[in-house]
Parts: sequence; structure tokens; C-alpha cells
Amino acid sequence: MINQVQKKILILALFAGEIMLKSGAEIYRVEDTVTRICKACNIPYAEVFATTTGIFVSVDEGSAHSDMHTFLKRIRNSNIDLEKISKINEFSRTFTTTSLSIDEGFEHLKEINRSSQFSFLWRVLGAGMIASFFTLMLGGSFMDFIGSFFIGIITYFATILFEHLELNLFIKDFCSCALVAFFALIFVGMGLGHHTHLMIIGSIMIFLPGVSITNAVRDSLSGDLLSGLTRAMEAILVAVAIAAGVGFILKIFGAFGGVY
Amino acid sequence: MWLQFFYAFASTAGFCLIFNVPRRHMLSASTVGALGWIAFQYALALGHGNIAACFLGSCVVALLSDICSRIFKDATTLFIIPGILPLVPGAGMYNTMLAFLNNNFTKMTQIGSETILMAGAIAVALLVVASLIKVIVTIKRGIFQFYKEHKNVITKLSKR
Repeated sequence: MINQVQKKILILALFAGEIMLKSGAEIYRVEDTVTRICKACNIPYAEVFATTTGIFVSVDEGSAHSDMHTFLKRIRNSNIDLEKISKINEFSRTFTTTSLSIDEGFEHLKEINRSSQFSFLWRVLGAGMIASFFTLMLGGSFMDFIGSFFIGIITYFATILFEHLELNLFIKDFCSCALVAFFALIFVGMGLGHHTHLMIIGSIMIFLPGVSITNAVRDSLSGDLLSGLTRAMEAILVAVAIAAGVGFILKIFGAFGGVY
Repeated sequence: MWLQFFYAFASTAGFCLIFNVPRRHMLSASTVGALGWIAFQYALALGHGNIAACFLGSCVVALLSDICSRIFKDATTLFIIPGILPLVPGAGMYNTMLAFLNNNFTKMTQIGSETILMAGAIAVALLVVASLIKVIVTIKRGIFQFYKEHKNVITKLSKR
């Protein structure tokens, strides 16, 4: 039989793993954290298998009359949040070295899950900064800078909206990048910017799958080939979605006689 | 070059804001990204191709991220993710798509394969640096272990 304390420990460990996976941590880090938390609570046998879409945890108390128990958690819609990874890293270190009780640990995790360091407006400003400074990096003028700043802000708002509508990955990036191309054409038409191409390239930087590429390599390197492949596939899919979204709008614009 | 450094710094800081990098690491993460971009530009100025430049830039980012993660005692991902993003070939992807729209398939395959290879170069650079660091750390640990086990022998030999 599994007792109530063990069940609590498991839920705690799974919760920590879930937050990490959702924030975009590597697989080996998630597995390591969950195992550490279980081991710190005197569960001798704890085996974890995590992929990008779910975690399995299997535990055994170790005594002769105990059963083996397996817990499963499905992970949906992740968004990158590096601060949570850092905080849970710290949490697992304190939890294993000090005698923190399980309930206190749970409170800590809930606190971490709720917290968000930068408010929404800061993140919107970040999106604007990415778009505008990339345009400058690629050789844009001052007007391009201002134009792509607004494009970045508008499309980031739109992305948040699409996330609330729970659209899938492909459609979300398709729509966002179609919006990027649309506004770039409008702004250039209004005179707010001169180089359409540079403005579009700078603004789609926000959506590029750099995180997926990085994590795919790091996962494959530590032996989690399944997750590595999944993330590489995600990167390809997102890249195609971005190209399709921008191309769609440009093609329509060209069909109406515009020159891009 | 200084201007490029500042632009890259600011855009990496933007990525830090979007991805919620902890405040205490924002400065170092942005610097890592900016230095990676400078390495990329420097390699281009020396006359190397896009792919080799991308490889060099990613190597710099991966190495500096590992150093930062050891100094600040935090996960390497925190520095690598914002730092690598300026090097991701967005312009190549866009130009591939543009050539495709113009029905220019020769140009499309040319730029497209270069773009894919650039993304591959980033992956290989991360892989090479991570493996090298692992090897170096293992060797260092082995030497320390050897020294601890044979401390008496070594001191005797040095006295003689």
C-alpha cells in the first residue's frame, strides 16, 4: 500500500517537474529534479521518464509488502519562462539540503508557479525592442526603427490573444507572421519606414524557433533522443508556418498589383 | 562595430524580457548575446562564409554561457537561449521564401540550403562546446582524484 505521505511527495515532485517542463527546461534537468526530490524524502526507488508532452514517475517504497506505483502527468501548452527554471533549481537545492516539510515545499512551488517577474507591458516592450533593434542591426534607417517597434508591439499583443483562443502552434505562428507582413506593408505605404524586407525580417525574429533548436540539441546530447526529435520537428514546423504566413500576405499584395 | 554591439545588446535584452530571464542575470545574458553577434560579424568581416561565421558565433555564446553559469551558479539554459537567438537565420529564411514566391527555384535552393546549414551550424557548435566542456571537467576531476589518492607518493617523490 502507498501511504498518504508518499502520495504527497509524489504530487510535489510531479508539480515541480510540470512547472519546469512548461517553462522550457531540458529533459535531463526535469528528470534530475524529480528524482532528487523523491530521494530527499526517503523513497529509495524512484524512476522518471519525461518527454516534452508528459512525465511518468514510478515509485516503490522498498519494503517486502509494498506495491509499485506509477504516476502520469500530461503537459499541454508550454511557454518559455526562464525565471521559473532558475527558481525551481534553487528550490530543489534547498529542499534536498534543509529539512523543509512537504506542505511548506508545496506552498513554495505554488508561489513560484504564480509569480511572474515582468509585467505584461514590460514583455510587450521587449517584443518591440527585439523587432526594432534587429531592423537596425540588418541596416535599417531610423524610420524603419520606429515602424518595426510598433509592428513588434502589435503582433505580440495578437500572439497573446491567439494564445487565449487556444489556437494550435502552426495556426498561431501563421496568423502572427501574416500580421507582421500586413502591418509592414501598411507602414511602408504610410511612409513610416522605407525597407519592407528589413522590417519584416526584424519583426519575425520574435517568433523564430531558436529555443526549439537549442533545446533539441541539448536534449539529444544528453541522450533524450525522443524529445530531441520532437523539438527539432517543432522547429521545422514553426519555420514553415512563419514562411507561409509572410508569403501568403506578400502574394496577395502582389496579386493586387503591389510591388514588394 | 560598437553600434552593432549596442544593437545586439538591446535586442538580446528584449529576448530576456520576453523569456523572463531573472533580473540579476539580464546584464550578463545580454552581453553574451551581443558578444556572439560581434563574433559573427567579425568572422564575416574576415571573409568567412555565413555558415562558418554562424558556427563561430554560436561557439562563443555556448562557451560564455557555460562560464557565466559557473560564475553565477545557475542553469546554462538561462544564458544560451537569449544569446543564441540573434544568430538564428531569420533573414535567410525570409529570402528563401521570397525566392519561392518569385518562382526562382535555383535561388531558393541556394539560399535555403545555406539557411538550413546555418541552423545546423548552431546545433553543431552547441554540441561541440558542450562535449568539450564535459571532457575537460571529467579530466580535471580525474586529475584531482589522482592527486588525492597518491598524495603521499607525490610528496615523497618531490622531497627526494
